[in-house]
Amino acid sequence: MSAAVALPDGFAVLEPFVERWNVPSTAERAALRKASSAEEREAFFAAASPLLDAALDHLDAYPLNALPPAEQRLMNLMLSLAHVALAVEIQGPDETMSAPWRDRMRIVRSAADQAAA
Amino acid sequence: MSEAVSQFTRVPADDLAWLGTDPVPAKPYYDPAYFEVERKAVFLKSWIHVGHVCELSDAGSFIRRDLEFACASLLIVRGRDQQIRAFHNVCTHRGTQLVEAAAGRQTRFSCPYHMWTFGMDGALVSAPDFEAFHVDKKDCSLKQVALQECGGLLFVNFDPEARPLREWLGAYAERLALMPVARATSFSEYTYDIGANWKLTYDNFQENYHLRFIHPRSGGAGIGGDNPFGYPVTVGFDGPHRTQRIWSNPSPDLKTFQRAATMRGIPALKQQGLLELPYGRDYLAFFPNLFLIGTPTQPFSHTVYPIAADRSRGVVRVYWVGDDMTASQRFAREYSLAQIRDIHCEDIAMIERGQAGLSSGALSHIHFQSMEALCRHLFNEVDQRVRAYARETGAVL
Repeated sequence: MSAAVALPDGFAVLEPFVERWNVPSTAERAALRKASSAEEREAFFAAASPLLDAALDHLDAYPLNALPPAEQRLMNLMLSLAHVALAVEIQGPDETMSAPWRDRMRIVRSAADQAAA
Repeated sequence: MSEAVSQFTRVPADDLAWLGTDPVPAKPYYDPAYFEVERKAVFLKSWIHVGHVCELSDAGSFIRRDLEFACASLLIVRGRDQQIRAFHNVCTHRGTQLVEAAAGRQTRFSCPYHMWTFGMDGALVSAPDFEAFHVDKKDCSLKQVALQECGGLLFVNFDPEARPLREWLGAYAERLALMPVARATSFSEYTYDIGANWKLTYDNFQENYHLRFIHPRSGGAGIGGDNPFGYPVTVGFDGPHRTQRIWSNPSPDLKTFQRAATMRGIPALKQQGLLELPYGRDYLAFFPNLFLIGTPTQPFSHTVYPIAADRSRGVVRVYWVGDDMTASQRFAREYSLAQIRDIHCEDIAMIERGQAGLSSGALSHIHFQSMEALCRHLFNEVDQRVRAYARETGAVL
């Protein structure tokens, strides 16, 4: 098996996070925020948050609804980062306490999903 | 002095004294008998928000909306003539519900029971062996419910004598029409079921008194400095509706990523002219159960549908103008949705605790301070209708 490069050039540091955080819908990203451990979220946030601007600048050069596979994975990682950042940067120690309540808010529609559908 | 000065001035309590200052009875927040009258006197006589025009972009598109307070399921349909109408989702033959799908696009509604078939204008088009009935087709149209639109929002009214929507919405209709929601082409949505009275639920979103205690992290940007409670700058009332202008914190406590995430969405908003809209700090509360916020990065509506005296359903929609054009815009919208959901989830825990306390009957009255004026106004407007209805009908409260 040739080691397919999962992400665009310059984002190799995020390769270890692709398997876990490359998920296709908003509701799944929200669910993964809860299903993940604090350590997983913190590691992903530490690696990915400094690359937010670089990643979005790179992706902005492509037509959004025709992203090549590597770019699509990077997009999905950034969308997962949106959720993880709230857990790590904003909620911090309150994340576990608020998680069950967040589940009560069922995401039934999102801009990103409609485009992907 | 290094900190920016907001020079916040609290709305004087004297300006709000006309709403009353007495304790408010607790029973209307849990009593099934009160709820039953409220359902009839308020919800079956008011314009109720049920959707947005962007959900019905093409002729033949429809959405189904189940409204527990009316025991009704409605089909909201864009006809071939582009008119949007609301019908009871009820076959006029023997009452079978026509449609199970939540939304769709088609040219006919056919009842699965005996194949009575209706056009998207509600008319009965065909029915097998119809000659054997003793009725005219023209008298078998789907039962229509009044539907009108303002600012892109669709409202229905079960009262056949309802005055027009615009008149009902009053002075704030103009502001609504200048909010992003009026230009929206799509939205993100989350819903929640809550074990709490609709007023108790809605009231949580009408006062900022709780912000610093319930949202110390997620809502940190809206409190601080000389306005530690994040109270509004102004409040206003128009008939049964009300408004407040959200305070702009001159030095909001924004985290690094939070700021960066928000900034990624700004260029698109600027390009679309959404940053310059005049009511970007306004909160509009339309009686009985809808409110909207015009914030450009997060313009949303929140509707609380009553189900029982102690049960409700909330629907939050964040509105978007245009499809996602860039990765940055998609990311900013995802963050915006997740951020507001975080704040709302912190509220529902506390609201259900409130219901548990009230339903015990331990309190005869509850208390609103002057900066809970909007909650008091809602109670006044509801109670006045409930008491008038009870007087007219002899309903016992």
